Amino acid sequence: MGKAVGIIGVGQTHHGRRTEMSYPDLVREAVVRVFADTGLTPADIDGVVSGTMPSMMEGIALTHFYFADAMQAVGKPILKTETCGSTGVSIAHTAYYWVASGMADVVLAVGHEKMNEGNAQATMTTVVEPFYQRYFIAGAPGVFSMQSQMWADRYGIPEEKIRDAAAYISVTHHDSAFDNPYAHVKLRVTADDVKNARLITYPVRLLDVCPTSDGACAVIFASEEVVKKLGKKAAWVKGVGYRGEEYYFGDSDKGVWQSAVQAAKQAYKQAGIKNPRKELDVAEVYNPFTFQEMLFYECFGFCGFGESPDLVLKGTFARKGELPCDPSGGVLCTNPIGATGLIRVAEAALQVMGKAGEHQVSGARLALSHAMGGVDQFNGVMIVGSEL
Amino acid sequence: MSKRVAIVSVAQNSGAESKDNFYDQAYRVAKEALDKAGLTREELGTVVTASSDIFHGGISCANSYYWETTGAFLKNASRQDGESLFAFFYGVMRILSGQYDTALVMALCKGSENPPNDTCTLMFADPFYQRPVGLTETMAAALQMQLYMEKYGITREQCAKVVVKNLSNALRNPYAHRKGLYTVDDVLSSARSIDPLTEMEMAPKSEGMVAMVLATEKKAKKLTRKPVWFKGYGSSLDTFYLGDRDLLDGQLKNAAARAYKMAGITAPGQEIDLAELTEPYAFQELMWCEDLGFCGRGEGGQWLDSGATAMNGKLPVNASGGVLANNPYVSRGLQRLVEATLQIRGEAGERQVKKKVKTALAHGTHGFAGQCHAVAIIGI
Repeated sequence: MGKAVGIIGVGQTHHGRRTEMSYPDLVREAVVRVFADTGLTPADIDGVVSGTMPSMMEGIALTHFYFADAMQAVGKPILKTETCGSTGVSIAHTAYYWVASGMADVVLAVGHEKMNEGNAQATMTTVVEPFYQRYFIAGAPGVFSMQSQMWADRYGIPEEKIRDAAAYISVTHHDSAFDNPYAHVKLRVTADDVKNARLITYPVRLLDVCPTSDGACAVIFASEEVVKKLGKKAAWVKGVGYRGEEYYFGDSDKGVWQSAVQAAKQAYKQAGIKNPRKELDVAEVYNPFTFQEMLFYECFGFCGFGESPDLVLKGTFARKGELPCDPSGGVLCTNPIGATGLIRVAEAALQVMGKAGEHQVSGARLALSHAMGGVDQFNGVMIVGSEL
Repeated sequence: MSKRVAIVSVAQNSGAESKDNFYDQAYRVAKEALDKAGLTREELGTVVTASSDIFHGGISCANSYYWETTGAFLKNASRQDGESLFAFFYGVMRILSGQYDTALVMALCKGSENPPNDTCTLMFADPFYQRPVGLTETMAAALQMQLYMEKYGITREQCAKVVVKNLSNALRNPYAHRKGLYTVDDVLSSARSIDPLTEMEMAPKSEGMVAMVLATEKKAKKLTRKPVWFKGYGSSLDTFYLGDRDLLDGQLKNAAARAYKMAGITAPGQEIDLAELTEPYAFQELMWCEDLGFCGRGEGGQWLDSGATAMNGKLPVNASGGVLANNPYVSRGLQRLVEATLQIRGEAGERQVKKKVKTALAHGTHGFAGQCHAVAIIGI
């Protein structure tokens, strides 16, 4: 695993519709907060990793240029990591490898998105090539709806049951967001509200879908020597896993989703995890769609394939359940895409450092964070723990 | 660094416009690099690519599109944006972390499917102040060139000589896109671009799939008889607004200082045997030589005149023809490193320099007037 690496602090913006400030100021808000959280200054940083969604969504290309000052990265070594929706977790991986390689001691990772100034769905349509797929893969919901249907059909899960379980996830996550000061959507909803919400792409309805958020997240990774010198509590990186699969949507099996299965396996192996549902204390699963969240539970080995709706309805993955998932309210309530994966990592780190405040899962020692991207194609996992 | 990382094989394609599609071009180069290393895709540890959505022919999330062609199917792979030497460094990091013993590093750009370079670089400018006035890399470079000539008495002829040198070097490089025997007059009388630049002083828009296989010391010794070792790396980012910067005192010195420190180099002009620089605008080669410490401040012109940077000079610069000959925007940094590797291995064919190359430097830059620089040092 290389040198030990710990997360020593996080900074998040108040995510939402931040029309009162510019994009660089949004980035600056997160970066200022990570310095306040850690007590470090920009002079302490050996390198900066930046990342976001593609240029079309940003309205500006190669965003590390524009945000050099906001990231306090002027005169610093820089890397720019982009892997579509999984960018956030890939930024965290890059920062981890930089420190684990021994070539830096303190690395600042910054992810950001000001989605209200762009057009996310139009951009995502251009992720697919212009010859075959662009005609029918319009934006994200279409892809994920097809995947949900494939999964339900494969395991013969009754439509009613999936609908109920998805509504349960939506209600509980929306409730959780009230306990997260940085969450975007704060809305009390009932299961009936979810089931009767406006249809987006069958079976996905409005309250099954993440919002369009402005937000940024900054996380500082440090070597064991620095963590000890600072005498700080850290969330130690225990495992990193990432996999990508076929670009053409029809080429791969999205029901037993190999990129998700194998990314988790790689991270579990490094972290020495054999029974994830038992050993993990909390998981921040990337869940832009309620239906997809259930599939992730299965791919990550939290339960068998086809079993997740029953367990969701039993409360297994709820805040007081056996393995709380997305106590922050998750992507469903906050989705500034280029930051989203890094927010999952930050939330997992806060949990194992005991700093998650109102949405703290008591006694959390081992946490999984995750992000997904591409044309339903990439999955990345980072596991953090309270012990070295 | 206690552990060592080696480059074990390299591959690239021609910069000239090709009828082959993106997938075929990328696949062939990736496969060639793996074949030369004697590795199957299954044996390969990890993949790090470099590409940029703005230079990606109208498709967003570039690495989604080309994922399988780079051998990354169901592998732990990642991607860097903008500068391909970033991908090299990330590949080195992944190996030094102890998790992988081999890595394919690859840069992908198909210039013929992209709009003109400056249509893309205009998008680097912020949409409020700089973009409305049409700030592009060429405009920023023209301002920088004007300042450079004025402050240090560099002449237009000296800048043009860089083109003459590099395009004639390129005659020996089968991968070069633009090449030929030209005179200083040819360069200065070519079409005017943004004053004082002429068209010939500006890099073209090229194809460029570039790949290399990296390995741990133990693995490298099994894969090749001629490993080329990673010695040092440094990068640095400058502030954004052009007016806030001293265009003659940029970040390359910082990037180079970091790379030299890692490589243990104290006298770059003596210790570095060959350099491959990213000079999308001719005069920049002179400036970068100064920033890299090959010659004194303001002496880039005289140093060129002395013949030091010629193919068989004291410190050959861009024996391949450089970026003026071949400019696949995102891939150009890694292409410099591939050329430096070939020179160290003595495999550069007709463009092989006469002197023995033990230590070489590769440089990449992107952004207005060199907002970001990256420097890599490799050697035997």
